[in-house]
Amino acid sequence: MLDRIKNNFNTQTWVLIPIAIAINIAIGQVVVLLKLPVYLDSIGTVLVAALCGPWAGALTGALSNIIWGIAVDPNALPWWPVAFFIGYNAGRMAQWGFFKEWWKVVVTGFVVAITAAIVSTPIAVYLYGGITASGSSFITAYLMQTGTGMVQAVLSTGFLVEPVDKITTAMLAFAIIQGLPKRMLGGYPKASQVEVSGSQSTTQMYIAISVVVVLVLFAAFMLRNILGG
Amino acid sequence: MHERLSFHIQRDSFLHRLNPLTKLVLTLALVIIAFTFPWYWTPHLLVIAAIIPLSLLGKVFREFSLTALRLILPAATFLFLMQAFFQPIGTDIIFKFYFLDVTTESMLFAFRNAMRIFVMVSSFTLFLLSTHPSELMSDLTRRGLPGQFAYVIISTLQIIPQMQAKAQTIISAQRSRGLDTESTFFKRAGSLVPLVGPLVFGSLVEVEERAIAIEARGFTSKHVKTSLHEIPDSTFDQSLRWVLFILIIASVGLNLWLS
Repeated sequence: MLDRIKNNFNTQTWVLIPIAIAINIAIGQVVVLLKLPVYLDSIGTVLVAALCGPWAGALTGALSNIIWGIAVDPNALPWWPVAFFIGYNAGRMAQWGFFKEWWKVVVTGFVVAITAAIVSTPIAVYLYGGITASGSSFITAYLMQTGTGMVQAVLSTGFLVEPVDKITTAMLAFAIIQGLPKRMLGGYPKASQVEVSGSQSTTQMYIAISVVVVLVLFAAFMLRNILGG
Repeated sequence: MHERLSFHIQRDSFLHRLNPLTKLVLTLALVIIAFTFPWYWTPHLLVIAAIIPLSLLGKVFREFSLTALRLILPAATFLFLMQAFFQPIGTDIIFKFYFLDVTTESMLFAFRNAMRIFVMVSSFTLFLLSTHPSELMSDLTRRGLPGQFAYVIISTLQIIPQMQAKAQTIISAQRSRGLDTESTFFKRAGSLVPLVGPLVFGSLVEVEERAIAIEARGFTSKHVKTSLHEIPDSTFDQSLRWVLFILIIASVGLNLWLS
């Protein structure tokens, strides 16, 4: 067990982690500036998880939130377990070979999204009484007002909001890895698990992107159903 | 622009002279007691009787209240309003608004939750105002935290401002060549790649170089490293930590016993 954790970490991992955390925060802020309806604040975490393994990913996620909390906005602090499990599960998926093709990356993103929704539920319920200070809480609040239980309301909001965000995150992380020269990947502990055989077809990329578009439309449709009905 | 990202303000005060670990335990104690102690007015009392006096004692009251006003209060107020309106509990309706009703119960519930969050965030702010990150890290390293963790935290705090500056440069550069960052949704989504690409690739190129550099400075060496900086840990610190520890256990125990 301890050996398995240790083999995630070499000097390159330790150097990559601070950079990945900074990537999380910088991209998170670029996205806010572009006024896009996603967070994309865990690209660095997924990147570390794929290149170095689940434990390194988990550590990056947790530290990312803690440092975001101590340096930028203390409200981010209590959410560190969510980032921890995002990193861990992204790493596990990569280990099982789900970081080699576009459609598999979409699956990874989906699994990560479900993880995020489930882990954030108890934090939102116990710490905040269901309604947090984020924008998507309006959906939770509406669901609770119409008689849905607190846990169900928080969970369904998570299932609605997370997939688009996390699938885009996973795809961007994959695109970054594909864009890096092979020479630069060699030093990471789990470089072999992101090695793709041959070149990636662009058709597959378009299929993956259209999956995301369909998901966005689905989420919008569900939202209208919930808020309209 | 400052070279390192932190709230820390150097002052000579009782709070600043405490051992970093004591302050960390104090922060955790405040948070845990606010969340677990069964008495309704606990978080409110903690703010008045502990957090504000501590900020005065630490001579950071002005900075603390500015941070509280700018960062914590808006979030806590938003939380209070959301919860007061949307919690479907209680029957004693104060007033109705469309399908929303505010009851005495939901008001009290919301008030306590907002105060709890206020205690949590403000005690961490206080901790960060009075503790330098490197001081905390070298104290924790001396107590057995692996040096790699200290490296990650300190170097992240240094890299973030650099990265933000780099992001700003890239945004300006791309805008000056005509990249659309303000119009329709699809245009804005499309401009994500030319903004994120250079930022990420630019910083990932440095990784190997940095790894070699710190490797050459004995990063993975197993020997005990000496520190230039001695951080005092008085008997007062140690006994204060024990008292806080007992208070935490009492509060959690009382919570479990009553539920």
